[in-house]
Amino acid sequence: MHSLNYIPLALASGRYSSLILLAYILGALVIGIAFLAGLMATPPRYRKIVVMLVTFAGGLYFSLEFLLPHNPIYIGKYMIPGSRGVANLANGLTAAKPSVADWAMIIGSFALLLGVSNLFQIHGKAVRKKTPGWYNSLAFFITFFLIMIVGFLKDYKLGFLGSHNAAAFQAGSGNLYNILFNGFVQSLDATMFSLIAFYIVSAAYRAFRVKSAEAALMMGTAGVIMLGLVPVGAWLTNWLPHTGFFASMRLEQITYWLLIWPNMAVQRAIDFGLGIGALAMSLRIWLSLERGSFFDRQL
Amino acid sequence: MNLLFKLQSIDRRILYVLIAVVLAVPLLKRPSKHPDNVFPEVRNAYNVIDSVPKGKIVLLSCSWGAGTKAENEPQLDALMRHMFQKHIKFVVFSWDAAGSEITYQSAKRIQDDMHAKYGVDWAHLGYKTGATNAIISGMGENFQKVMGQDRFGVKLSKLPAVSFVKNYKQIGAVVDITSVSLMGYWISYLTTPKNIPLIYCPTAVMSAGAYQYLDSGQLRGMLNGVMGAVQYETLIGRGHARTDAAATSWALSAAHIFIILLIVLGNLGYLAAKRAGIHTGGPRVG
Repeated sequence: MHSLNYIPLALASGRYSSLILLAYILGALVIGIAFLAGLMATPPRYRKIVVMLVTFAGGLYFSLEFLLPHNPIYIGKYMIPGSRGVANLANGLTAAKPSVADWAMIIGSFALLLGVSNLFQIHGKAVRKKTPGWYNSLAFFITFFLIMIVGFLKDYKLGFLGSHNAAAFQAGSGNLYNILFNGFVQSLDATMFSLIAFYIVSAAYRAFRVKSAEAALMMGTAGVIMLGLVPVGAWLTNWLPHTGFFASMRLEQITYWLLIWPNMAVQRAIDFGLGIGALAMSLRIWLSLERGSFFDRQL
Repeated sequence: MNLLFKLQSIDRRILYVLIAVVLAVPLLKRPSKHPDNVFPEVRNAYNVIDSVPKGKIVLLSCSWGAGTKAENEPQLDALMRHMFQKHIKFVVFSWDAAGSEITYQSAKRIQDDMHAKYGVDWAHLGYKTGATNAIISGMGENFQKVMGQDRFGVKLSKLPAVSFVKNYKQIGAVVDITSVSLMGYWISYLTTPKNIPLIYCPTAVMSAGAYQYLDSGQLRGMLNGVMGAVQYETLIGRGHARTDAAATSWALSAAHIFIILLIVLGNLGYLAAKRAGIHTGGPRVG
């Protein structure tokens, strides 16, 4: 296990790099706040236009980067005029991809903060007003801060405690973190998923009735695939030869045939339909034509 | 006849206890028997990893958590062991914080078992959050800039396992171990445009929707759930080891047989009631 004094690398290297980093952070904060203030000061009907323009620019980048040719186009020996410029633009857009990825990660991180802020508002309101079940919201706050603090402490040595005490404290934090994460988070997460097994058994027993020929076909196919994908299925038809005509009667072979022929054909058809629908929806969102909770409300 | 009719209304609490027992017994006994048959897509996945050229790494993208650990962790285990055996360098990264922690714990256990060295043989790059398409396409152009540092804050240029990776040209294969399917992003933004093999490792329920991609060549191999993992273990020479994958596969076998038996019993009861002229609107589900 790496025990780490977690210090951002920029701070750890160079004499003035910490000041430079601080200047960057403050500058970014000032610019961000100024931008936000400017946006809030904009009349509502223009705010929507700003959002639409940013949405369009974002989609335009990826569309152009993908669709524009990255090499000049030649007809025989002759290059089509302007195609070199287009190729240069496309290559410039491709070169910008790592920076776009950085921006995407920054925006994603803000989304995490937004999610946490939203949770705090909802649960804070429940605790303040003592709505029914408010103690669950209190449990949220306790566990949130507990695992956050313990998570930091397991990776960060508290130097002011002295070397020996700091190491012991860090080890203790690590143990507590293991109890909380492995003992609580992982176990509870796995338990929630495991409930599905019980519900499936109950539902399969009570609801799967063969009331028609189609139902019988579906049931039979499901049974073959369920058995063919597990070791027991192979064992059931292990007495059949591995090669030759009768090999195709082995349960795992029948299962494989069902998966790669009828299943694949249907899945492909479904995917085509989904793809065309996704294309249409994406176009509507890109061009801000979609009407919904965001677009119809005043910002 | 009365007995058959009663068969379609067994108390669900009895069913819950029975399924718990059916699942628990193989998991506790941990049989070591692995299947002899290996699906073609699993064999193809093995061949892809086996033929990753020197000087290239494998990306293991993990988007799973504790809920699907039983299926995805054996896949990670089998693939990591294969790559350690063949001295193929690889990186593991996740798409959320909890997944990053879980995958690191799993990977470290395998590293210790295989006596591999962190930073030299492999690295864990923590997790990335944000627009998946931007991150995937960005890492193909400038891997060091987009991925930046590993989960401990160490710059990638300081890790021998990954310091030489500049862009997609040093990526030999991508493995998507997932419970949410990021396959579409990998195919669209990195593996198909840059002709990098993609191996898909979904949970079993998701695997049925991937065969068309195998057919078109956009996926070069697939480990379907824990069964894919246990078959992969057979290929890497662990066919007689007592592994989590083997135990889980036998638990799965037992559960499938139990469910089929219950469906048959339920339908026998239903037919008996129908013959007796008793109308059964069907009991409530669950």
